[in-house]
Amino acid sequence: MRFGFLRAEFIVYHFIIVPLVAFLPAYFAYGVAIRRGDFRCWLDKSSREEITYVLERVLGGQLSPEERTRVVRDFFRLRSCETVDAMRLAGSGRSLARLVKMRGLEHIEAALAAGKGAILCSAHFGSVNCSFSLLGSLGFPVTLVARWSYEDDHSFPILRFFDRLERNKPVVHHLDHPNIRRGNFGVAVEAANVLRRDELIVILLDHIVTAADRAQPVEIDFLNGQASMLPGVITIAQITGAPVLISFMRRAADWRHQVLEISPPMPVEGDTVTAFRRCLAVVDAAIRRDPAHWRPWKLSHLVKMGLLPAEGTRFPVQSEEESIRV
Amino acid sequence: MSESSKGGSMEFLINAHISHELVDKPGFSLKNDTPLLESGILNSLSLLKLVVFLEKQFGVVVPADELVPDNFKTIDVICAYLRSKQGR
Repeated sequence: MRFGFLRAEFIVYHFIIVPLVAFLPAYFAYGVAIRRGDFRCWLDKSSREEITYVLERVLGGQLSPEERTRVVRDFFRLRSCETVDAMRLAGSGRSLARLVKMRGLEHIEAALAAGKGAILCSAHFGSVNCSFSLLGSLGFPVTLVARWSYEDDHSFPILRFFDRLERNKPVVHHLDHPNIRRGNFGVAVEAANVLRRDELIVILLDHIVTAADRAQPVEIDFLNGQASMLPGVITIAQITGAPVLISFMRRAADWRHQVLEISPPMPVEGDTVTAFRRCLAVVDAAIRRDPAHWRPWKLSHLVKMGLLPAEGTRFPVQSEEESIRV
Repeated sequence: MSESSKGGSMEFLINAHISHELVDKPGFSLKNDTPLLESGILNSLSLLKLVVFLEKQFGVVVPADELVPDNFKTIDVICAYLRSKQGR
């Protein structure tokens, strides 16, 4: 009963309210989003408690109980705002672009001028997919290496449909190139071919390793634990000579404006795992600085990453598509 | 195309590259009909390294639509694929 109500609220917000308000003045659109976030935080007790629990388990004493409560509230607010972001990408994307200040575009321009393409890395952090789409709307040739949850065979058809509608369509709207599907047989070669064309590859570093990835993960220090990760992005950079840049999009305190920050090239010489560790340390620092921006504060994701054990918790380890939707 | 890439030595070169550069286990021996995918010898990243080697060594380009497991099952299959490309 409660689950059905949560799902109904989700559908009403994403497919009725957001399309109605997203193109109204930003203070109003995002004002609605943060109120909906607060409502959802109150309504979805189970997710609220689960996020509080994993924050406590992973970050420990870094957050006081009051800060944890604020992070959980902001988590719901941010997810609600991100739906508005995705909707504002429709058309030319200008509705969103005028709210986003971009810093470090010169690093992408310099990388492409060198003729070896560039690898733009990020994490499941804030409106990350929208940030890539914004770069596409500026004319940068962007190709995502990703696997969308609606592509997973185990997800329900209705979820696949909504995922495609909500996540995939708006955010790839400004990308000319088809995604490279993570787990494809030749994914690294396909990515290298994009770089040879002097284009941008974007990839999230904190994804869950699955059997489909066909690669051996390594254990890396991450968020006070050891996470199973694939350092393949560094190998691709070393083989192709493409620089690795790291980007994050953060929301300002007014909830409307955002800053997209792109780093200078990261050093990738030498040992692959050491270079990957350096990149992941940047992601780790960004999450600690703005924990609510990180989307995977859910038991299922952290268990699959190896950061938390599946046993001994009072929360069920849900499937991926159940765990991310708020 | 280098001289050494012609004829039977193609198999030898690819075998040596996979055995020494991609697997790098002392005493590892690879037959030309060993299944590379099922045995886990080739994954996405080692395939990239192999394709870079093949393109450099044999002067071929492997387009995305030919990056399929069927073309990289064994060393014999890889060589047949390369010869078919060189013959075009």
